[in-house]
Amino acid sequence: MRGLRTLLWVGIAALGALAFAAVALHRGEQINALWLVTAAFCTYAVGYRFYSKFIAVKVLALDPQRATPAERLEDGRDYVPTNKWVVFGHHFAAIAGPGPLVGPVLAAQFGYLPGTLWILVGALFGGCVQDFVILLFSVRRDGKSLTQMAREEVGPIGGVVAYAAVLSILVILLGVIALVVVNALKQSPWGTFTIGMIMPVAMLMGIYLRRLRPGRVLETSALGFVLVMTAVVGGKWAAVSQVTVPSIRWFIDGRALPHFVLEPLSSALTLSAPGLAFLLILYGFAAAIIPVWLLLAPRDYLATFVKLGTIALLALGIVVMHPTLQMPALTKFVDGTGPVFAGKVFPFAFITIACGAVSGFHSLISSGTTPKLMRRETEARMVGYGAMMCESMVAIMATVAACVMEPGTYFAINSPAGVAGGLPEKAAATISGWGFPVTADAMHRLAQNVGEVTLFNRTGGAPAFAVGMAHIFSNSLGGQAVMAVWYHFALMFEALFILTVLDAGTRVGRFMLQDALGHVWKPLARTSWYPSIVATSALMVAAWGYFLWQGVRDPLGGINSLWPLFGIANQLLATAALCIATTIILKTRRATYLAVTLVPLTFLVIVTFTASWHKIFDPDPRIGFLAQARQLAAAGGNARLIFNNRLDAVVTGLLILMVALLLIESVRQWIGALSGRRASATTETPFVMTRLAEERG
Amino acid sequence: MKLIRVLRAILSEIFEESAYERFCAREGVARGRESYAAFVRGRRVQAKCC
Repeated sequence: MRGLRTLLWVGIAALGALAFAAVALHRGEQINALWLVTAAFCTYAVGYRFYSKFIAVKVLALDPQRATPAERLEDGRDYVPTNKWVVFGHHFAAIAGPGPLVGPVLAAQFGYLPGTLWILVGALFGGCVQDFVILLFSVRRDGKSLTQMAREEVGPIGGVVAYAAVLSILVILLGVIALVVVNALKQSPWGTFTIGMIMPVAMLMGIYLRRLRPGRVLETSALGFVLVMTAVVGGKWAAVSQVTVPSIRWFIDGRALPHFVLEPLSSALTLSAPGLAFLLILYGFAAAIIPVWLLLAPRDYLATFVKLGTIALLALGIVVMHPTLQMPALTKFVDGTGPVFAGKVFPFAFITIACGAVSGFHSLISSGTTPKLMRRETEARMVGYGAMMCESMVAIMATVAACVMEPGTYFAINSPAGVAGGLPEKAAATISGWGFPVTADAMHRLAQNVGEVTLFNRTGGAPAFAVGMAHIFSNSLGGQAVMAVWYHFALMFEALFILTVLDAGTRVGRFMLQDALGHVWKPLARTSWYPSIVATSALMVAAWGYFLWQGVRDPLGGINSLWPLFGIANQLLATAALCIATTIILKTRRATYLAVTLVPLTFLVIVTFTASWHKIFDPDPRIGFLAQARQLAAAGGNARLIFNNRLDAVVTGLLILMVALLLIESVRQWIGALSGRRASATTETPFVMTRLAEERG
Repeated sequence: MKLIRVLRAILSEIFEESAYERFCAREGVARGRESYAAFVRGRRVQAKCC
């Protein structure tokens, strides 16, 4: 039996090596996406079997005899011993969002290879490790949060920095993902109709769930899914409908002046970027203050329903269609002149792909609900390491979706007007001049096929992903005739993800603000006091709304400035999490295995600090915030844009400063623990024998 | 069969049907509008990852 198992793993490793060899040797030729998927699958299998086992046994010494907080503190509410597959599903549903879809699509401007390698190596040695160790350390501390662990293990500075980092990343994240939705829906009546219909569908689900069939969530979600699919198909009618409807126009001659008009439905649904941004900000505020059961909870269920189904369907589509990758392994844009976002492959590929490789945000989930559900310590390996591996696989699929389309098409969709040109003929000529042929006619036909007016300058990653996904789906199921439906299904899928993150993030941010402001004036901490709810929700929405507005007004499309800022913030949070994990490993006298967290920590410090330096001080105005502010000032540009660039530079600097403080404080702890000068007690909960083990005898 | 049971359990947990059943059992109340309203009132919002 042992011999057979060894043979099986040798076979998997050999197959993975063969797939990598095929990728490496097909330079200058197109390769089939299945080589990439096979290489990834085998890498994950070997990584999980051997590396995660090594961490489980040697570094963390998982103990099946040790009672978990779910068992010791069981209350049927927060602490509930739960089947490992159930915890796995719960955890995966919470960590998988739009990030692993959007990041890899944007990074595909470097070619398929840099992103793929970073997704695989980053996940196995960084992201999966972070999720696994933070989950286990939280389990061993009664399910404490990352900020609590930072305060107790690193010190008060650690706690403050972790709190500020979490709040900052929330604000930047929400602003950026809202911008992705705006860029996907601008001038897109079909998409706007579909996404707009999600709100009444979710509210209908909320009422159905509360009044008609209390607690029947699966049934309600299936019903909601049917309604949303009807909206996806119905969008085709709405996009050309001449039925007169009352609507709001937000601007007159570029000035904000909301006013009612009567116009055809198709015109009412054709919104500009600022108009959509306005609506999203209003929506974010409303969603944050209305009861959870009415909108947030049912839409959350609906998003999860669609998420799990679509990811499975996409994997199946890639295997059935096994498309050829049209994008080269490397493009000339590794030199930093890329149109999607500016900056060299190092460090910018590593901050553009966060979720899918390493995402600091996951440490919040790993120290949130999940540790309170674990039945046995040993299951942390499958849940922490395994779920992140699955998320990484989603990122590989997104890379495939972006790279199956012609590179010229990819760049036409993702290049902002400020770089490629505003008119179709001009943009096509510019992109063809880069060596990626595309014509205005071909883009017009593609836009018609997917039911859009135009696909030029649709930055943000979501439309490109939707085109790639529609390409894969329509070739597997239904053919060209249904390409427009698949495209809008993909857009709906991404927007649903994003709106879920937007509401939940705004609410969580509001709770954090209330918690902090409660120290200033006690009533502000009361989560049921309406004035406090409204004030803190408004503060939170204003904060992310500012970044959204900034992105909408940016002549380079916003994504160029804001996605790297988000990537830096997210990776800095991962740096903080790995810093805390390293401190705990040292305190538990397992310094021999320090490299497990110290190596990814060091790499992330190098990446984030280098990227931040470039984003603040790089003399190229497309990269450096200060250089862009100087260029705008010299040209007598808009004062608001100049201020925004300076603000982005300050925000980046503050984030770096906070993490530097945490690093210094941690290093002091490490030196103290290693030299024996500092008491190295951890706040780990004392060992209690599990009842489950006693029952087993 | 076991696979279907596990899948069903995963979906029930993700979609909080199990949480609602646990709530009813803990509070000694029957399924219905009032108990579901009370369950939803106590529901905490968890951050969703990007």
